[in-house]
Amino acid sequence: MTINIWSILKFFAYVAIIMFFLFPIAWVFNMSFMTNDEILRKVPALFYEPTLKNYVALWEGELAIEGFATMYIFFKQNLINSAILSVGSVSVTLLLGVPAAYAFARYKFKGGEDIAFTLLSFRFAPALLIILPLNLYFSKIGLYDSYFALIWVYQLITLPLLLWIVRGYFEDISPDIEYAYRLDGHSWFQSFWRISIPLAKPGIAAASLLCFIYAWNNFVFALILGSSQIQPVTVGALAFITASAIPYGLIACGIVVSVLPTLILALFIQKYLVQGLSLGAIKG
Amino acid sequence: MKINRKLFPYVLTLPALLVCVGILIPFFTAVYYSLQRYNLKMPHMKGFIWFDNYVNIFTDPSFWNTIKVSLTYTFFTIIIELLLGLGIALLLAKRNWLNNTLGVLLVLPLMIAPALASLIWRLLINPNFGVVNYLLSFIGLDGFTWASHPNTVLFTLIMVDVWVFTPFIMILLLAGLRSLPRQPFEAAELDGVPEYYKFFRITLPMLFPFILTASLFRLLESIQQFDIIYALSQGGPGESSMVFQVSAYLQTFQYTNIGKAAAMMVVLWAICYFLCHVFVQQWHKLKIKTKGELLQ
Amino acid sequence: MSYLTLENLSKSFKDDKVISNLNAKIDKGEFFVVFGPSGSGKTVLLRLLSGIMLLDNGEIEMNSQVINEFQPEERDISMAFQNFALYPHMKAYDNIASPLRANNKNIPDDEIDQKVKEVASLLKIEHVLTQFPKELSNGQKQRTSLARSLISKPSVVLLDDPLRNVDAKIRFEMRLELPRVLKEFNTTVIYVTQDFREAMALGDKIAVLYDGKFNDIDTPKNIYLNPSSLTTAKLFGDPTINNFTASVKKEGNLLFVDADGEKFKLKRKTNIQDCRCIVGIRPEDIILSNEPSDESIEVEFRTKTPLNLRIVFLVKLKSGLELLCSMTEEESRLINENNKLYISFLDERSYFFDVETKRNLE
Repeated sequence: MTINIWSILKFFAYVAIIMFFLFPIAWVFNMSFMTNDEILRKVPALFYEPTLKNYVALWEGELAIEGFATMYIFFKQNLINSAILSVGSVSVTLLLGVPAAYAFARYKFKGGEDIAFTLLSFRFAPALLIILPLNLYFSKIGLYDSYFALIWVYQLITLPLLLWIVRGYFEDISPDIEYAYRLDGHSWFQSFWRISIPLAKPGIAAASLLCFIYAWNNFVFALILGSSQIQPVTVGALAFITASAIPYGLIACGIVVSVLPTLILALFIQKYLVQGLSLGAIKG
Repeated sequence: MKINRKLFPYVLTLPALLVCVGILIPFFTAVYYSLQRYNLKMPHMKGFIWFDNYVNIFTDPSFWNTIKVSLTYTFFTIIIELLLGLGIALLLAKRNWLNNTLGVLLVLPLMIAPALASLIWRLLINPNFGVVNYLLSFIGLDGFTWASHPNTVLFTLIMVDVWVFTPFIMILLLAGLRSLPRQPFEAAELDGVPEYYKFFRITLPMLFPFILTASLFRLLESIQQFDIIYALSQGGPGESSMVFQVSAYLQTFQYTNIGKAAAMMVVLWAICYFLCHVFVQQWHKLKIKTKGELLQ
Repeated sequence: MSYLTLENLSKSFKDDKVISNLNAKIDKGEFFVVFGPSGSGKTVLLRLLSGIMLLDNGEIEMNSQVINEFQPEERDISMAFQNFALYPHMKAYDNIASPLRANNKNIPDDEIDQKVKEVASLLKIEHVLTQFPKELSNGQKQRTSLARSLISKPSVVLLDDPLRNVDAKIRFEMRLELPRVLKEFNTTVIYVTQDFREAMALGDKIAVLYDGKFNDIDTPKNIYLNPSSLTTAKLFGDPTINNFTASVKKEGNLLFVDADGEKFKLKRKTNIQDCRCIVGIRPEDIILSNEPSDESIEVEFRTKTPLNLRIVFLVKLKSGLELLCSMTEEESRLINENNKLYISFLDERSYFFDVETKRNLE
């Protein structure tokens, strides 16, 4: 039997890829079940007694360390903030974006393409260029540090995303089906609600999930426009890691809890990911 | 209530349009700020100074350093991600159980917030307990300085960027590869064309629109990268990893010099706009070439 | 007073005038067939009537009310689409029930149920009511779409070439069945088709659409026997009508035709003047035989081919003029194309058109 040099190279390529891309996630997951002592060993422990202490502490908000006073952890609030901000942003995006996406898909109207492209270009404008002045405005009108203001700014990323994905789905629906429903005696709104939306539902669902992921993963908006009261996990985890005396296992646990929602959602939208990530430029 | 049919599309887009306007106002405000002497600590000195902020930053060696660092970062991340992404896509192109599973799993780093990805790597390269240091010691690399030394910090940042965003290139190119028509390859096989020729003369040209799209997206994101760098090095040590947006952030919140920060952001915006313009033109040419078959 | 009046309807897309100055008067309960070649604007016309598209100019008057500005749902007009346009996410039952469930009707569920079953049994689709459109055959889809357009007994039903996308067998069945079904509903029907046989089989009246307007509006028989122009005559017939330029001289009931050296006589009561014109003779009005007769002309056999249950012969006259003649299969069996062939023309079955305008001269 001859061993092909190509297949050996290929084997090592697979191993290297898996090591580089997946090992870090696995290891942090692993760390989240360790105590500080186990983590700080010179030789990383492969065999140890996994503990859920970190998760319990994160949830209950306090951790008793032997020989020290009880430590209070505020990470749970960050998780709640992330959920509020992401769900809020996606809801607002759906409300604003779905009718607009329909208009861009169905009607050719003056300036329509321009508006669509302007909205798209936001995705690529430097974030700070827009949030620095917004920051000053928000302070003036008392919107600084409010969920509302952050959700509004989050539209910068979620709205173009949803608009361009859902637009493609509406374009795929035959207008005749909508006309038929109108001729049955239904108003435009009824045909939109009972025909167009249900038929574009897979696209709308996928786009919403992707929007949720993007909103959840955002960092810079909340860093600048919110205090620790409303900051999401991305900002919270950074404060977490830079604060002294927090056990590393707990930090790892915080990171795991923060990335888990998006990782799980990502598995649901596999089919739509290519189209979503390229804003509809490539149909996967 | 009856709405004029011509006006109806505008009614549907109006809410989204209002958000548009809400964003356009800050944009113009930023341009306006960039023409002002505006420091939060010295509000009484606020005044119109035309292009002094721009003259100021362009004569400032640290801004040139920022440009240099940003472009270095952008250049290396894109080159490495493209080559690696293309390589992995080619490796996974054939549909089988292993490749399909890997295709799903390899997307995971991309779904992690870049800021959190930085934190993950901070845990892995921690000088006290980082598992990567331990693994590297087997190949004789002890005490690699990672983000703590000016010589290695950019490498570290680029590595994290590569970790997060290579999957982006990979998944787009994989979709591209799998959607290529079979006929040219079958014809080439019949003609007994060598593999490398097939790759450079058939695969790569047909994949080009996908590569271009992926590059455009990455380019615009990479040159504006903030999350990864802020969460890992905050521009340091010294100014060795000071990129545009981190610099502007510090300019605003450490030195409270709004005018200068705004000027820097306007320069970054101009660069992005220029790059985007060039790319979109190329894209249109390609679209005409391929008659919109590959890119809709 | 007609029920539906179309006055000077016009619609263009950019510079393309699809409908221009189209006029028609349609009576209540009439089966009105719009017949025209593909691309003549038939579908656009239906869209204008249903309110899916808005007119550039003109007036649509229904039941003494101008409905130009009415929304589609306000017009009491229903339509069966050529591509069926069934709602893919609803079962056939709900597709059909949709018009009854529209607003301000408030029909109780059991009444809806009863009506859906009634119309379904009429169209013989009771057994597929619980299925989704993608599970239906084309014929069933087409019946479902018809059922949907009829169930609410609208004042006007628009049928956009409903038999186009079904196979030949179903098309034949439906052609027989449609008049019966539509009669049950006693509604005004506007039926679009590009098949002249379908138009002739179904229509009380046929309107021939080309050049953006109705060029003939008449009973099938009248249009067939007295087309307004060569274009109409060409549209009604497959193979198309033979036509050639000739000088015609009238002597009593006889017409002496001279087609570039080919001279023959036609028996025809007519009021046309002696002139040079286009003579049209339908292939089915030419008799082909191996036996010569009084007025017959000897021809040379070129080729033959079956077409729509008939056999079509292409024959060549001495002058080089080629003519098509068609006959039933049995008739064709009597003819041996290897022997000498003769043609003669049926009495009273020829047409004369102006060389320039192509209008019928009678």
